[in-house]
Amino acid sequence: MLDNLLLGLMAALGWKQFFFMIVGTVIGLWVGVLPGLGGPVAMAILIPFTFQMDPLSALLMLASISVGAAFGGSITSILLNIPGEASSAATAYDGYPMAQQGKARVAMGLSAGASMVAGLVGVLILMFASVPVAKAALAFSPAEYFALAILGLTVVAVASLGSTVKGLAMGALGIAISLIGIDSILGVERYTFGSLYLLDGISFVPVMVGLFAITELTTMIIEGGTVSKSGKLEGSLWEGFWGTFKWPFVLVESTMVGAFLGMIPGIGATAANFLAYGIAMRTSKHPEQYGKGAPEGVIAPEAANNSCIPTSLIPALTLGIPGGATAAILLVAVTLQGLRPGPMLFTSNPELVWGFFVGLFIGCLMATALYLVMIPWFALITLVRIELMAPMLLIITLFGAYANERNMMDVLVAIAFGLFGYFARRHGYPLISLVIGLILGKLAEGSFHQALMISDHDYSVFVLRPLSAAIFAVCVLLVVLPGIKKRIGHGGAEVT
Amino acid sequence: MDAPVRNYWREEFALAAGLLVFFIGVVALAIPLPFDARLFPLVIGVAGILLMLGILAGEIRRRATVVPADVIPANDPAANAAWPRYATALLSAPVFGLVFWLFGFFVASVAAMLLMPALMGYTDRRLILIVGGATVLVLALFFPYLVGVSLPHGIVGDWLIDRFLPH
Repeated sequence: MLDNLLLGLMAALGWKQFFFMIVGTVIGLWVGVLPGLGGPVAMAILIPFTFQMDPLSALLMLASISVGAAFGGSITSILLNIPGEASSAATAYDGYPMAQQGKARVAMGLSAGASMVAGLVGVLILMFASVPVAKAALAFSPAEYFALAILGLTVVAVASLGSTVKGLAMGALGIAISLIGIDSILGVERYTFGSLYLLDGISFVPVMVGLFAITELTTMIIEGGTVSKSGKLEGSLWEGFWGTFKWPFVLVESTMVGAFLGMIPGIGATAANFLAYGIAMRTSKHPEQYGKGAPEGVIAPEAANNSCIPTSLIPALTLGIPGGATAAILLVAVTLQGLRPGPMLFTSNPELVWGFFVGLFIGCLMATALYLVMIPWFALITLVRIELMAPMLLIITLFGAYANERNMMDVLVAIAFGLFGYFARRHGYPLISLVIGLILGKLAEGSFHQALMISDHDYSVFVLRPLSAAIFAVCVLLVVLPGIKKRIGHGGAEVT
Repeated sequence: MDAPVRNYWREEFALAAGLLVFFIGVVALAIPLPFDARLFPLVIGVAGILLMLGILAGEIRRRATVVPADVIPANDPAANAAWPRYATALLSAPVFGLVFWLFGFFVASVAAMLLMPALMGYTDRRLILIVGGATVLVLALFFPYLVGVSLPHGIVGDWLIDRFLPH
């Protein structure tokens, strides 16, 4: 192990690799800030340029983009309530209220601290648990995947701010939208109305741009003034950075949630971001403070999405199963370099694999340093007049929706979801539930059908497998526990 | 009941009714599909219908009991906004999208940068011009050269280029 680490260190600290890591991190921070243009988009654009590079430099640059984008995505979530990355959407729920209170620097410091710790822990897990965990994940059957998807939806429904019934309805809406396109089991067209655009389903990027960016822009234009309602910036960056460690339980819990979900293909950083937020809120002694600028509400989602990125590479590198878009693009890059992902990669190219792991570790520290240097400048955005900023953001966000697939229909989808999101949010329908439903809808349906096919249409498969049964038990507990807690609380009050 | 409260309730019921119709559509359009393809949509659609009926019933009950002054949250920005600002907020994205589709990036961006601040009541014309010009210029360089996405000319722009520029 130590030999491998030394080998990796030697390989990763070459000047060329270091240079490309800096380039990747800066590009990542940059695209992370732009709504609609996330890390995967930038990675995909740069893949053609990696042909001429050596495999380690190419992989490190692409991975650094992803790490940088995860950091950068939180900047606009906190400052403008517009997530630069889908995986930073939940960060806005408490980050933005902090910015409104003039504590943008503190919120970004919290985000930097949580992202750094979680990112480093994620890389360590990637280093030490790659092979054994990938083998364990291989044992997950479709029944467990279905149970996990239901767990995701349950957490969001019970944790959503406002009415739980409206949260559930939005979750159902998200799943219903995810059903548009070609059915993955039979290949039948559903809800396409003959449209070629709808055959592939509704693209995720314009929906996110609409629900988060356009919805927020609409509210911002109505409100006017500046994002920071106090008109000044209070608190320091370092207060936030060191403040991260005042909530060790939330930090560790959310890092582990993200790391665990990262290892499971298909779940991804976005779901981890929302789930960690929901779990932190459920386990908090002061859940009522969430959504109003609670520091834990920034730490939890940021820790989860940053620990998720490295661990999503575990099934990708060891089994060739991508855990998400980032891992999928990295797999393409590995293949284009003439290498074959899988257990053999660890024995035939230890320099590359361990150089990549060590490089990711250094990349996390580098992204933190660059992020901290840039924060004071970014925080000034909250003092700019909305009248000047709104048209700028409108152009960037709608162009971001278009740039994803160079399709004007995506702009239309973004606008439609933006206007719907504005009215839905005004009337207490939580938008997170819709997003989670949309993310997990296909996974839920696909694994539901696969589980039934494997079990010869025996519905008891979901409760007879121990792991699946345990996950469903957690779902039930999540729904039942608040009621029990309430009763115990009331009982206590009556006794006293 | 005053106009803002009446409008709020109209919006509330229109939204709930719209979602109810959507879920009914999900169920209705799933019925002709093969069993495996319709099972999940039916489950989700029926759940959605039941949830929306529950929400509608809850809102009708709330409307009957709540004091009109408590209907709209105190921090709702739309309640106190003047109509030009409200109209700008709701129409800016659709109008930008339409101009972007017809005339492309430059016309849509310049129009948004120059008109939106003025419609929102911002009066410093010199600053609007400087910020607008600089933004369009920076984005026009940023998108094609650094992100690799060429700027669309819009269908009218494409037609004009086809018609008047030599190939």
